[in-house]
Amino acid sequence: MIDARHHRQRIIDEVGEAGQRRLEGAAVAIVGVGGLGSPVALYLAAAGVGRLGLIDDQNVELSNLNRQVIFEEGDVGRSKVEAAAGRLLRLDAGLHVDARRENVRASNVAALFADYDVVVDGTDAFETKFLLNDAAVLLRKPLVHGAVLRWGGQVTTVLPDAPCLRCLFREPPEPGEVQTCEEAGVIGAATGVVGSVQAEEVIKLLLGVGNPLSGRIFQHDGLLGETRTTPFPRDPGCPVCSSRARIRDLARYEEQVSPRGHVLV
Amino acid sequence: MAQRSLTPEQRQRYARHLALAEVGPQGQHKLLRARVLIVGVGALGSPVALYLAASGVGTIGLADHDHVRLSNLQRQIIHTMDGLNRSKVDGAARTVSALNPDIKLETVEATVDERNAMELLDRYDVIVDGTDSFRARYLLSDAAYLLRKPLVHGSIFRIEGQVTVFVPGRGCYRCLYPEPPPAGAIEESEDVGVFAALPGIIGTIQAAETIKLITGVGEGLVNRVLLHDSMAMTFHEVRYRRNRACPVCGDHPTVQSLVDYDAFVRMEARS
Repeated sequence: MIDARHHRQRIIDEVGEAGQRRLEGAAVAIVGVGGLGSPVALYLAAAGVGRLGLIDDQNVELSNLNRQVIFEEGDVGRSKVEAAAGRLLRLDAGLHVDARRENVRASNVAALFADYDVVVDGTDAFETKFLLNDAAVLLRKPLVHGAVLRWGGQVTTVLPDAPCLRCLFREPPEPGEVQTCEEAGVIGAATGVVGSVQAEEVIKLLLGVGNPLSGRIFQHDGLLGETRTTPFPRDPGCPVCSSRARIRDLARYEEQVSPRGHVLV
Repeated sequence: MAQRSLTPEQRQRYARHLALAEVGPQGQHKLLRARVLIVGVGALGSPVALYLAASGVGTIGLADHDHVRLSNLQRQIIHTMDGLNRSKVDGAARTVSALNPDIKLETVEATVDERNAMELLDRYDVIVDGTDSFRARYLLSDAAYLLRKPLVHGSIFRIEGQVTVFVPGRGCYRCLYPEPPPAGAIEESEDVGVFAALPGIIGTIQAAETIKLITGVGEGLVNRVLLHDSMAMTFHEVRYRRNRACPVCGDHPTVQSLVDYDAFVRMEARS
């Protein structure tokens, strides 16, 4: 059968017929269906990634709608994962969407990584970001990290035997040390830039093409219009991915994800 | 003009903007009063329209002559299966109104060409180029300069994309590309691949640049073009200046009204 839907993508050398089938057979988990999760989910669905897991325990709020373009005003008060799943199926009814109304915790993160080929971090709770990083390193699965605040943000991809988030930022900041999006504000388009970069990373990882942001960090400052990628090495003293690692399981996270706990992005 | 205060609903909806020092209530009012024209509601127009509407740009013009095809849905995230074979501007307007019913939408189901461009562009504060042809890029650049309107340019090709902002008097598309590419180099768009999330990056940067132009904050991508390669995942910035010999915005302009852009692209291609 001729796949007219993905024609413009199949004719790219880096994708092709085999690549398109690989995307159809792939499963990607999107943790946090907010500012980052919106463009990630929409673009991965559009690209034809066969199965998308949406993980979020929040409901849609009116204050989400300045940036979370997967939702509509009529979704306010509804579960984010259900509303987003409905929107993705209107784009492509042939997709498989797992709407998982839950938060990621130490107790369920291993099962999550086992169920999917790639995990995307669309959260803005630092503890969750570090939990996902540590799980990716310990379970040897790819993670596409993203974060956003005010007018900009960052993306890096964590692959087995390559630098991880803790090689850059050893520990999450103390609560109150860094402002959240709720306190500091965020421009919708900045979440769009960061989320779209994450989506490109996922597609490339699934296809095994191009250069991923492994050992590199993408940083975008929309206010200054500055966008760059900077290489960074593995930290020989990294607490999770080095030979001197002291984090060998996820016990430190216990059941409590975060005092803030919310997916605000 | 007296500034009306935001409604309680608007305070909720735009809470993350009100918290930003560079936007705040004043910036939000500027956004709500702004009029932006998006030409081309496809790969680039989709994220531009979604993010500008979400941000509360008060009046958005959507111009496109085309209908939604199945092959569009691989990247044009504003469209859905319900919109298949229907007009792109109507489909986009439905999605945008559902996201933010506060926004006034003006749809133009037509090709923007030398006959209607001046009258259409003149009604807006900022023009966003979401088109996919050289004919349209030269047309919009010339028209925006002649009307002294800022133009937020974006384009994508296979796995690469670029963004820049043309502010009148500080360079135009012709300063960057004095001549269209040779005829053989221009392929029909249906034969050119597009990497799915690439227009998301370029289009959302266009949206951010538009918001900066409206609110008057930050450093715009003026006199610099941002080039992105999605496979290498690199971003490069190339600086350019207004060309003093530019036939449109140079010191001695020879083009003072719109020309025949189909002919322009073909003629230049032949020479």
